[in-house]
Parts: sequence; structure tokens; C-alpha cells
Amino acid sequence: MTVQLKDRAEAITIQWIPKYTALERLGHWLHTATFVPLAVTGMILYFPFLQPLAQGEAGLFIRLIHRVAAVLFGLLPIIYYAFQPRRLLLHIREFLPRKEDIGWLKGAPAYYLLGKHEAMPPQGRFNAGEKLNGLVMIIAWAVFGITGVPMWFGKGIIPPELFRWLVIVHDLMMIVSVCMFLVHLYLAVAHPLMWAGLVSMRFGVVSAEYAAEHHARWFYGPKRAMEIYEAKKRAAAEGKH
Amino acid sequence: MKRNNPSPNGQATPTMSRREFLGLSVLGLGIPLAEGLTSPSAPRAASPEELAILYDPVKCVGCRACQMACKRWNNLPAESTDALGIYESPTDLSAITWTIIKLKQTDTGWHFFCYQCMHCTDAACVAVCPTGALFHDERGFVALDREKCNGCGYCTQFCPFGVPHLQTANIWTGAAKSAKCTFCQDRVWNGLGGPSCAEVCPVGALQWGKRAELLEVARARVAELQARGMNARIYGETELGGLHRLSILLDEPAQYGLPAAPGSPALARFWQKVIQPLGNALFGVALAGILGVFLFVRRKIRMEEVR
Ligand code: HEM
Ligand code: SF4
Repeated sequence: MTVQLKDRAEAITIQWIPKYTALERLGHWLHTATFVPLAVTGMILYFPFLQPLAQGEAGLFIRLIHRVAAVLFGLLPIIYYAFQPRRLLLHIREFLPRKEDIGWLKGAPAYYLLGKHEAMPPQGRFNAGEKLNGLVMIIAWAVFGITGVPMWFGKGIIPPELFRWLVIVHDLMMIVSVCMFLVHLYLAVAHPLMWAGLVSMRFGVVSAEYAAEHHARWFYGPKRAMEIYEAKKRAAAEGKH
Repeated sequence: MKRNNPSPNGQATPTMSRREFLGLSVLGLGIPLAEGLTSPSAPRAASPEELAILYDPVKCVGCRACQMACKRWNNLPAESTDALGIYESPTDLSAITWTIIKLKQTDTGWHFFCYQCMHCTDAACVAVCPTGALFHDERGFVALDREKCNGCGYCTQFCPFGVPHLQTANIWTGAAKSAKCTFCQDRVWNGLGGPSCAEVCPVGALQWGKRAELLEVARARVAELQARGMNARIYGETELGGLHRLSILLDEPAQYGLPAAPGSPALARFWQKVIQPLGNALFGVALAGILGVFLFVRRKIRMEEVR
């Protein structure tokens, strides 16, 4: 695809390569479409200043939305992986921590704040930050289910002492996952380095140039990505002397 | 769960300098935490206007007039029970039974106990109610506004005495309303007298009045019973900041199925006073941090330079 930019004489060519399958994108957006209403309705019960919305009929409706969304939130990943068992294995492999992740996380502040991405260890299809977000969301999925289902059906069946802890754990998980979500949301929609992420999640593609720069291990394969990275580091070290 | 008394949620204002930002983050965490840990747990200081019910098991003859008066005044339907061959009927409180007479075998014999809401000063139900449907009347008792209730049922799980019950319309949608003894709030508010159980009791085993005065009555009565060789004590003078249903017991509270040191609201308090402010502070820090980073990055990284 060629694009003509306003302030440049020559047209630039962008080579798009596929990054996410249609089902991966659908899954991502359905997860969002259930998580956000869950967070909003949950927070109406949680925040004192939203108390008027939690009262009476309105409150009952809020709780109903929470339950409908919770069923979808809980079932969607199960349905997705039931139909795509090989994606499950792929995603597990992609999301497992690797030792480069530490180097990447150390470099992350300079990367996000100052735009310094030269020193970043090569990343797979998901970078260490995305993996962290994914990990929190996977844990959240399980914890919300484990605590939420007994909160729904367990009154009078489970001991009250247990119920009390379930509400507290449910709320703590909400705090952690919503904080993570806010960071994810900012990076996705407002951070200049990450615009390509949103494009990929909408249209499934990424420019080859961006992929080579930000997802080298995925783009070049592990061996070649490491060679390029080492070469860059050497060049940078020589440049300093 | 939300606190009923809204507190500043400690949102730090965004800032550019890193040191300032970190300082504010610490403040953001610190203020609500300090506020939460130091603010008094009781909703208000004891006032001379506070009302209470006093139960004296020695006078009680177990006629259950209180149980019936409660049903009639509050328009509660009868409950079908099984003939279990025991005195208690029904055997527990429910959404449609707010007062029952229990018969307890303790080390010192068989004793009646009139079981209803204790109207705690430090009430777990009020603390965890996300709607404000459960609240303290200025005379100390715990009132319930059914219009505001959304049926979440947290009160049923946090009350240390297992008092509130849900009247559940649908377990799938969770449609429900909480129900419990309200100290006959509508009688008190409309100047019709006190709780109907106490009004009707034929032997004076249940009395109602100013809490301070009833405490005097209870103390004198306990001294008298002790002089007669009974193991009498007051329950509710200090428990949970002071109950507005005072009882004279003739044995350890545990023998009546009552918690000796009712501490389960500790979890509700721990939550509201520590975790809730901490959560608010974390949201504040996250939002302020993101805004700070956003403003900073907008100046540092130019979109045009990014491929
Ligand atoms: C499997 C998924 C989930 C289930 C089964 C579930 C279930 C529940 C239930 C039963 C309640 C109690 C209120 C009621 O009875 O209606 C509740 C409250 C709540 N939920 Fe969820 N939930 C789920 C996911 C989530 C998610 C993803 C979030 C937020 C990100 C969330 C945040 C909350 C919050 C904040 C409360 C209010 C707790 C309080 O009163 O402080 N839940 N949830
Ligand atoms: S006994 Fe239970 S329902 Fe009654 S005021 Fe105390 S916590 Fe609330």
C-alpha cells in the first residue's frame, strides 16, 4: 500500500503483514465488551459517590447487567478455545515469561516516556508489557469466576465467613484489573508509539517496518532477531567511544 | 462494598516533575489510609436520646406474644413449619419472621431468649450496605428503607448475629429485598410508641425506653439476680459499640449461641477502613500517573517521527 503524506514529496510504501486472526480480534473485543460493563456495574456497588445508581430498581438493574455480562465474560474464552484448541497452545507459548522480558521491562520507562526503543531486547508477537496485561487478565478471569459464582448462588450455602472473604477478594481483583486496564487503555488509544497496536487489533495487520522494530523475534525469528539486537548493541557501544 | 460516609478518595493531581509526582502519589496513598485508620468506628457519639429494648429472660414466660405482635404490626405472613417436637417455632429468623423466642439449654438450666436484631452501634450491615438502605436512626436503632434496597444481600452475610434475611424473588437475577427487625421504625417515627414486641409483652420481659435508663434498670436487675445466686450479666452494654437490644443473660453468651466478643464486623471494618481507601488511592495514582505520562509524552515523542 502506498500513502502520500502531506509534508513529503515522495509517496511512502507500507507493507502490511497479518498479525491477528479475525477470531483473535473478535475475542479481544468481546472480552472488552464484557469486561467494561462488569467493571462499571461493579464499581457502582463499590464507589460511595455512585450510591444513587445502586439504590432500589436501578440497583437491581445494575446487578442484572453485571450477571448477564458475567456469564458471557466467563463463557467466551472457554468457547473460543474449545473451537481453537491449537490457539490455546500457541497463546500459552506466546504468553509464558522469557528472560528477555526483564530487560524489556527495565527499558520500558525510557521506551514509553522518551521513545527510546533501540535498546529493547527483541520481542515476540506480544511484548513483555502486553504479556503482563494478559497475565493479569487471565488471573482476573479465574479469580472473578471463583469468587463471583459463590457470591451469586452461595448465600445461605457457604459459610458467611467465606462469603465475606470472597467479596473482598472480588473487590481487590477489581482494583488490580481496572488499574491494569486503565494503563492498557491509555497505551492503546493515546500513546504515540502504540498506534500500530490499535490498528492491528482492528484490522489484523501491522506494517512490516513496525513489526521488525517492535516485534523482532516474531518478525525475524529468534536467532536472526538476537543477531540484529547484538549488532545494534555493539554499534551503540562503539558509537560511545 | 462502599462506605456509607463518603471519604476523599485521595486523587493526586497530575504533575510534570517526577519528584513532585512521587510525593503526591505517597500523599494519595497516605491520606485515605490515615483517615481510614483513625476515624472512629462508631457512627456517632452516644446520645441521651438513644432508645433500646431490654430483654429479661427471668421474667419471660415464653408466651410468644412478642413474636405475634411483630408479625401483626409488620404485616408479615405466617410461616409453615414442621412439627419438630421442640419449643422453637419457627427455629430461625427469616425474611418474614423478625422476632422469635428461642429455648436454650445452658449449664444452669433451660432459658428463653428473645432473638431479634441487636441494633448495633457498630453495625456491620450498615457498613457493608452499598445503597444506604440500612442506616442508623438518630435514636440509635438500625432502620431499613426497603425502597433503597437492591437485594445484594451483603447484610445477610456480614451481620455477626445472622439477623437480616433476603426475600428472594429470583435467584438467577438476584432480585430480592432485605428484611429484618426495624425497631418498629414506623411506630417510632410516627409517634405511635415503641417496638410492638415490647409494647405487647404481658410480663415486662421486653421493655423499651431510653437506652441509658434501661442500662440502669438492667444493672439493678443483674445485682438482684446475682444476689439470688444466678450467674446474671448484661449483654450489649459495650459489644459492638453498644447494642440497642440489651439482654440479661444467665450464662455465658456462647451458651445462648451469641458471640462472646462479636468481632466479625472486623472484616467489614478492615475492608472499609483499609482496603477501600487503598483501592481508591491506587485508582487515583493510576489515573494521575497516566495523565502525567500522557502530558509528558505528548511533548517528548512526536507522532511524525514514529514509523
Ligand atoms: C465471572 C465473572 C463475574 C461474576 C460471576 C461476578 C459476580 C458478582 C456478584 C454475584 C456480585 C455481587 C453483587 C450481586 O449479587 O449482584 C459482584 C459484585 C461486584 N463485582 Fe463482579 N462478577 C464477575 C466479574 C467481575 C469483573 C470483571 C469485575 C470488574 C472488573 C467485577 C467487579 C465487581 C465489583 C466491584 C463488585 C461489587 C463488590 C462490592 O460491593 O464492593 N466483577 N460480582
Ligand atoms: S444485629 Fe445484624 S442486622 Fe441488627 S444492627 Fe447488628 S449487624 Fe445489623
